Amino acid sequence: MKRPFDVFLAVAAGLMLAFLLLPLLALFLRVPPGTLLSQLGSDVARDALLVSLKTSAIAHAFILGIGTPAAYLLATRRFPGRDLLVTLTELPLVLPPAVAGIALLAAFGRAGLLGGTLETAGITIPFTQAAVVLAVIFVASPFYVRLGIAAFESVDQSFLEASRTLGASSRRTFLRVALPLAAGELSAGSALAFARGLGEFGATIMFAGSLQGRTQTLPLAIYAELDLNFDVALAVGAFLVLVSISVLLAVKFLPSWTRFTSTSLFAGAPSRSS
Amino acid sequence: MDSLYFDFTLRRRSFAVELALELGEGAFALVGPSGAGKTTVLRALAGLLRPDEGRIALGHKVWFDSAQKADVPPERRSVGLVFQDYALFPHLTVAENVAYSGRGGVAELLDAFGITALAGERPLDLSGGERQRVALARALARDPDVLLLDEPLSALDAHTHAHVRGELREILEGLSLPTLVVTHDFEDAAALTERVGVMVDGKLVQTGTAAELLAEPSTPFVAEFTGGNLIPGDARLTSDGLTEVVLDDGARLLSTDAGEGRVGLVVYPWEIAVGRTAPLDSTQNHVQGAIASLVPVGNRVRVRVGPLTAEITGASAERLGLRTGDVVVASFKASGTRLVPLA
Amino acid sequence: MYAAASLTEVFQAIDPNAAFNFAGSDDLATQIKENAPADVYAAASPKYPEELFKAGLVEKPQVFATNRLVLIVPTSNPAGIESVADLGRKGVKLVIGAEGVPIGDYTRKVLENMGATNVLTNVVSQEDDVKGVVGKVALGEADAGFVYVTDVKPVAAKVRAIELPDSAQARVEYEIAVVKATDHRGAAQEFVDRVLGKDGRRALLKAGFGLP
Repeated sequence: MKRPFDVFLAVAAGLMLAFLLLPLLALFLRVPPGTLLSQLGSDVARDALLVSLKTSAIAHAFILGIGTPAAYLLATRRFPGRDLLVTLTELPLVLPPAVAGIALLAAFGRAGLLGGTLETAGITIPFTQAAVVLAVIFVASPFYVRLGIAAFESVDQSFLEASRTLGASSRRTFLRVALPLAAGELSAGSALAFARGLGEFGATIMFAGSLQGRTQTLPLAIYAELDLNFDVALAVGAFLVLVSISVLLAVKFLPSWTRFTSTSLFAGAPSRSS
Repeated sequence: MDSLYFDFTLRRRSFAVELALELGEGAFALVGPSGAGKTTVLRALAGLLRPDEGRIALGHKVWFDSAQKADVPPERRSVGLVFQDYALFPHLTVAENVAYSGRGGVAELLDAFGITALAGERPLDLSGGERQRVALARALARDPDVLLLDEPLSALDAHTHAHVRGELREILEGLSLPTLVVTHDFEDAAALTERVGVMVDGKLVQTGTAAELLAEPSTPFVAEFTGGNLIPGDARLTSDGLTEVVLDDGARLLSTDAGEGRVGLVVYPWEIAVGRTAPLDSTQNHVQGAIASLVPVGNRVRVRVGPLTAEITGASAERLGLRTGDVVVASFKASGTRLVPLA
Repeated sequence: MYAAASLTEVFQAIDPNAAFNFAGSDDLATQIKENAPADVYAAASPKYPEELFKAGLVEKPQVFATNRLVLIVPTSNPAGIESVADLGRKGVKLVIGAEGVPIGDYTRKVLENMGATNVLTNVVSQEDDVKGVVGKVALGEADAGFVYVTDVKPVAAKVRAIELPDSAQARVEYEIAVVKATDHRGAAQEFVDRVLGKDGRRALLKAGFGLP
C-alpha cells in the first residue's frame, strides 16, 4: 500500500511530463509526416534552414572556443572580483530577448556605442548574418559558460596539481587533464547552448531583422509563415523540435569514457586483495 | 645529489607553520596529528602553496625566496609528489600515467615496481597497493631530485597496510633522494625512515631517530604520540638513587630516570606485563586494577588496566584467561620508564 | 480588443480603460481563428475581417477609418533620402512590412503604383507589424521605412516623413467588427459604436486618420 507522499510524488511527476509532452505530441499529430516533409522542401523552409545552420554553427564555434577557456579560468582561479564576473556571465540569462536585442543595437548599431568606430572601419552589423551570429552568442553563451564552470569545478583539484608536479605546464594540464575529465559535462552544456541558440527569436529580430535567405532563421520563419502558410510554420516548428531532441539524445548517449568527473572513485576506496 | 634546504613561515587560519630543515640523502618523516600542518609543508615544497616568508632551495637552485620575490612553479621544480589518494589520472592507463612526465624509461619503471602486467589497466580497476606502486612509479618517472610522500599508507585497508609498508621501505632504502614522508602514524614513520620530526601546530617539537623519540620524548605529547602511557605525578629523589613518583591517587611508582616536581611517567605498552598476581622478580612497579577493556590488535592484545595500557601477546592473554572486569596486576621495571617534565 | 498596431495610440485615447492586444492584423486574425478571447477585431485592411466574417467568426465588419502611407527616415537621415527614387541607391537599408501584414501589402502596392518596385532589392528586414518598421527607423538603424502617416506623430522627434504622391496611394481601409464568440457582447458593441460615433471620429481625425 503506497504511502500518500509517494503517490503525490508520482502524480506530480506524471503531470509535469504530460504537460511537457502534450504540445509536442499535438504538433506532430496536426501535420501528417508527408506534408511535413514536402513543406520542409519549400523555399522558405530551406532558406531558413541554411541561415539557421550557418549562423548557429559559427556562433557555436565561438562559444566553445572562447567559452571553454573562460569557464576554466573562472572555475580554477580565485581572484578579487571573480564572483562578480561569474554573476555577470549569467546576466543574459535573465534578460528578456527583446531587451537583449536592443542592448546589442545600443552597442553595435549604427547609432550605438561602437557604431562610429565600426562605420569608419567599413563594418556594418545590424541586418546582417553577423548580427544573427552575435545575437545567438549573446543569449546562448551563458548556458555554456555556467555549465562549463561547474564541469571544471567538478574535476578534482588534486588531478590538476598532480599534473603540475609531474612537470606539465598550466596549458598542458588544461589540455591533457582538465579538458578530458570535464568533457562529459562540457558536452551537455554545449548541447544546451546550441539548442538555445537555434531557437533564439527576440534578440535576432530586433538586432538582425528578418529577411528570407539572409537573416530569417528557423524561428523567425515560423513566425513569418504563421499567418500566410500555417502548414509551413508547423513543419518548420516540428523540424526544430526534432533537431533539439536529437541534440539532447546525442549528448545523453556519448561514450561513457568521457565521463570521468569524480575522484571519489579513489579516495578511501577499499582495495581488492592483491 | 643536492640537499633540499628550507626555512619558511606559512600562516594558516589558526596557527603559523614555521619550519627549517635540511633534507639530505635518506628519508625523513614528518609526523604529527591531523591538522598540524604537515601536508602544508609538502605542498609548499612542491610549489602548490606559497609561504609568506622564507626560502626553499635545492642545492644552488632557488625554488622560493620571499626576499628576492622568487617563486618557481611546480612544473619547474624537480619534485616527485605522491598524493594521499594517489590522484592517478582516471582517463589514462597505468602505462600512460607513468609516462605522463614525458621522460621515458616507462618500461623499466613498471618492471622495477612489478606492475608491467598492469600497464594497460585503468586506475579504477586496481587495488590500493597497486595504485600506490603506480603513483610512486609515476612520480619517479620524472627523475625528480626530491621525493615527497603524503600519507602514503593511509588509503590502504589494515590487511594490505603492513605488506605495502614493507615494500615501500625497501623502495625508499634503494633510492638516494632527499625524501620527505608525511604521516600521522608514528609506527609507519619508524618503519619507513631513519629520522623523524614531530610536528604540532605547525612547529617541530622534536627530531631524532624513532628510537630516540621513543626512548627520550622531550614533551608529553611526543611521549603519547609515540605510543607511550603517560601518568602524571609528583617526583622526588629517593635515598637509593631512584626517583619516586607519587601519583594523584596516592600510588607510588619508581623510575630510574631523573626528575623533580610535577612529571609525567612514561612507560610503553610492550614494557608492561600482565598477571593475576604480582610477579616474584625484581620488577618494582605494580599496579592493580580491574581490566577495563581487552582489544586484539593483530596477534597481540591491548589491555587497559587503570591508567595503563599494556600490550601482551594473544597467547598470553589466552593462557591467563583474561576477561573484562578481572582484577589483574600490571607490572613494569623502573628502568623501563622515562620521566618528562609536565607544565 | 484586438487591434492593428497602427491603432495603438488612437484606440487608447478613445478608451483608456479597455484591454488591448495590438499586433499585425494578420497575426490577430490567426489568433481569433484559434479561439483567442477577443471581443472586438479592428484591422488595417478589409482582407482579414472579411475572411473572418465569411468563416462566421465575426459580425459584419464596418469601415471606420482610412489612412495613407508615408516614407520615413531618421531625423539624421544618414543615407540622404529625399524621395522614393533615392531608395534605389546602392547600400540603402530599407525596412518594410512582411507580406501578409497589411502595411507590407500596401507598401508593395504603392511601389507598384509608382513603378518603383526595384527598390525592394534594398530591403534588409521584413517586419511583422508596422511598429517594427517604425522602431527600426526611429532607432536610427534603418535608413528608411514605409509606415502609415498616423505612426509619425508618436515618434515625431526621431523621424522625418516624406509625403508620397496621392496618385500612388493604396486604398487603406480600416474595418472593425464584434467577435461572435465574445463573452462581453454588450461592452464590445459599445466600443464599436464609440469608434464609429462622434467621439471616435474626432479622435481618429485628431490622430491623422481619414474618415470614410
